[in-house]
Amino acid sequence: MGKYILKRVIQFIPVFLGVTLILFALENIVPGDPIKLMAGEKKLDAQTELNLRVTYHLVETDDAGNVVYDESGNPVETPLWKRYVMYVGGLVQGDLGTSYQRKGQAVSDILLSKYPYTIKLAVVAIILETIVGIGAGMISAIKRYSFWDVLVTLVTSILVAMPAFWLGMLLQLFFGVVLKNATGGGFYLPVSADFSPYAEFQGWVYYILPAVTLAAVSTAYTARIMRSQLLEVMNQDYIRTARAKGLSRRSVIWHHALKNALIPVVTYIGNDFGAMMAGAILTETVFNWPGVGNETYRAISQRDWPIVLGSVTVIVVLVMVINLIVDVSYAFLDPRIRFDNSGKEN
Amino acid sequence: MALDRFGGVVSRRTFVQGGLAASALAALAGCGKNSSSTSGSTDTASAGGTFKFYISDPVAIDPYNLQESEGTQVGHCLFDSLVSYDWTKSEVVPAAAESWTVSDDGTVFTFTLKEAKFHNGDAVDAASFKRGWERLADPSMETPGEIGYHLAPVAGYEAFSKGEATEITGLVAKDDKTFEVTLTDPMADFLIVCCHPGLAPVPQAALDDPASFLLSPIGNGAFKMDGKWESGQYINVVRNDDYYGDAAKLDAINFSIQKDPKTALSEFKAGNMDFCQMPTGQIKELMSEYGESEDGYTVTPGKQCLTGAEGSIYYLVLNMDDPTMQDANVRHAMSLAINRQNIVDTLFEGVREPADNIFPPIIDDKANAWQYAKYDKDAAQKIMDDNGLAGTQITLSYSSGGGHEDIMSCIQADLEAVGFSVSQQSQEWAAYLSGLTDGSFQVGRLGWIADYPTMDNFIYPNFFSTADNNYSRYNNPAVDADTLVARQIVDEEARKEAYRAINDEVAEDTPIIPIMFYSHVHLGSERVKSLYYDAQGKADLKNAELSA
Repeated sequence: MGKYILKRVIQFIPVFLGVTLILFALENIVPGDPIKLMAGEKKLDAQTELNLRVTYHLVETDDAGNVVYDESGNPVETPLWKRYVMYVGGLVQGDLGTSYQRKGQAVSDILLSKYPYTIKLAVVAIILETIVGIGAGMISAIKRYSFWDVLVTLVTSILVAMPAFWLGMLLQLFFGVVLKNATGGGFYLPVSADFSPYAEFQGWVYYILPAVTLAAVSTAYTARIMRSQLLEVMNQDYIRTARAKGLSRRSVIWHHALKNALIPVVTYIGNDFGAMMAGAILTETVFNWPGVGNETYRAISQRDWPIVLGSVTVIVVLVMVINLIVDVSYAFLDPRIRFDNSGKEN
Repeated sequence: MALDRFGGVVSRRTFVQGGLAASALAALAGCGKNSSSTSGSTDTASAGGTFKFYISDPVAIDPYNLQESEGTQVGHCLFDSLVSYDWTKSEVVPAAAESWTVSDDGTVFTFTLKEAKFHNGDAVDAASFKRGWERLADPSMETPGEIGYHLAPVAGYEAFSKGEATEITGLVAKDDKTFEVTLTDPMADFLIVCCHPGLAPVPQAALDDPASFLLSPIGNGAFKMDGKWESGQYINVVRNDDYYGDAAKLDAINFSIQKDPKTALSEFKAGNMDFCQMPTGQIKELMSEYGESEDGYTVTPGKQCLTGAEGSIYYLVLNMDDPTMQDANVRHAMSLAINRQNIVDTLFEGVREPADNIFPPIIDDKANAWQYAKYDKDAAQKIMDDNGLAGTQITLSYSSGGGHEDIMSCIQADLEAVGFSVSQQSQEWAAYLSGLTDGSFQVGRLGWIADYPTMDNFIYPNFFSTADNNYSRYNNPAVDADTLVARQIVDEEARKEAYRAINDEVAEDTPIIPIMFYSHVHLGSERVKSLYYDAQGKADLKNAELSA
């Protein structure tokens, strides 16, 4: 097991280099000059633009810090490979660079201020998704064709079809505005996140609606996967054997069926958690969540490459770690899966 | 039987869960709220209250990079420049400077400063202005500023911004209270440039610890920072009791940073926001619900919707290097074919103004309308027929989002109605801007928001041949020469006349097609006793009041 994990960790390196290299190449392929974009709809004057290019190492400078010009008098651009080497060099020292658009702020500071919110929201949403999704799926499978089954199937169909931002806005309207007016301000939930000293509620209250919105679609999927997996497993021979042995139905479900049925569900939830780590752009926008998703989206649309690279770097690492945890968890769920010392799955 | 038993358990459990859910809700209602709530609605009558003001995330709040509406809004609270522009009087009034003189040749401006302190206790002296202004253009800043161009008329700016000089020679601290600015050429409007919040004084701390100054600037304004700027969340400021002028009436302002104006409106409706925007499509509905402001700029209870004109214009850029666009008849026919009133009425619920020249009425209401900047389908058709232009191919490029698709579709329909063959090219902003910059477009769109409320700020940046914002690549030597002359006319009325004449010259060439002038679409809460939100979008929070 130890060797397997080590091997997977070493595999991170080429994946990581590959992803950052692709992003670096994209910076040159995608139209839009990040420096020209810095001034919004207005234009930078030529000298300011050049000063900024020097600051971000986009043009070559000599040892004294003067701009190097080519024969026709244009500043020489720093070659891509050189910038990549500088970037990876900085990365090794924990330096993710400086944002283009958030003037003078270090990328690491920006991400550090936003990641905690993304992670906390994702954790709450995943817990919700796991408990409600697996629970509903189990009830649905066990009480097949009952009222509960129909209800779960119906609700999950609606949730899967409903865009998250719309659900979010409906929840805001109902819990934040309608309910507040109806109860005369007696009971309501906050419309959007507010972690300022002027916040009206205690911090955890702000998690309720965004977490429900974020978890809604994947909870529906989890329930559906759980239902179909459990039904499939319940038809297997070994389940019938267990029943024939005289075990109670509950014991069969808990000890024999569930573990096997859970593997695809855990895979799905793991992937979903990884995706949530990248930030939930729509949920974050609707609920004004100070997370990383909206920041990454902003950075992409404004060509704020240092932030794009920084957040992708973090996401790549997080997703790889989560995938590793998911893979390792298989061994606990299904005794047939073992990672032997050669590091291969058996 | 097992199933029955299982079923029984579930139903009992359901009951228990229901009970839990109910008690959780009760807990939410009870303990969820902070008992020591500081939000405005709970403040006592004697307090000025906390104003909750919606902004989107600013680019910067440090004056050296103040460039867009959101950061500028915060900047105005934290910093006072030398002078400020009073829209109700349409003139420059003293701020940090108590008086000023201008030399006869119009190149030397001498300001006498008021006795004042920064939020950290340092004195606001002439040296602090020189320090603050030089930061704008200093190439050795860790991230150089982007708004150095405001200082372009000042002697020594160029050498300093190139890193060839250690100071801007045109900025001199004569003594503690006397700040002298020397320009390379006379520029009569320079006093209005000095109103810009970027041209603020900064204490030595800005140089000693730029990283913390970036997020928590120390200014000389009526409010000071309360904590630091939390990106994407909030910026809180509190009243500065050591302010040199009349202290603010509000206790504090909570600039609530929202990503989506619709969320801000939901917060407004839930009673948690005192100032926000009205999203297009809901303007009429909100106006009937909250009442329309009398002058369009002042929020008072019951008259809470602002629709006053702004100093900004939406226009089509015609690429004068494009072979089709070089034909003046094409430009004239296009401009005549567009039904601007229809766009304003159908898409903006009538709150914007159709544009008939380059100057918004709030900047100058005496300029002549452009001959071709009006809707006259017959005249357009006549030009088309006389010159055999039917079927001329036109590509409208624009940045996606922001409602531009709808505007362009209206324009496309109008142009096709007179015989143009029109296609649309929608790009995301970054890619679109590249096209504008390298000239690979035929017809584009832009909005121009004035940096300063001067006529020059509409003529020079857009029509001077080498100006930065001249995306039309318009080059008329007569316009260039007249603009340079106009900039130096000291007499205000004569200067305005000169700019009106340039407006007439440009009208004939039609390098752009004016579409509409922007208006406010803002909304104040019932708690707001009074708030003045000027034509440039600066909220006068210093004099704002909340009812108890």
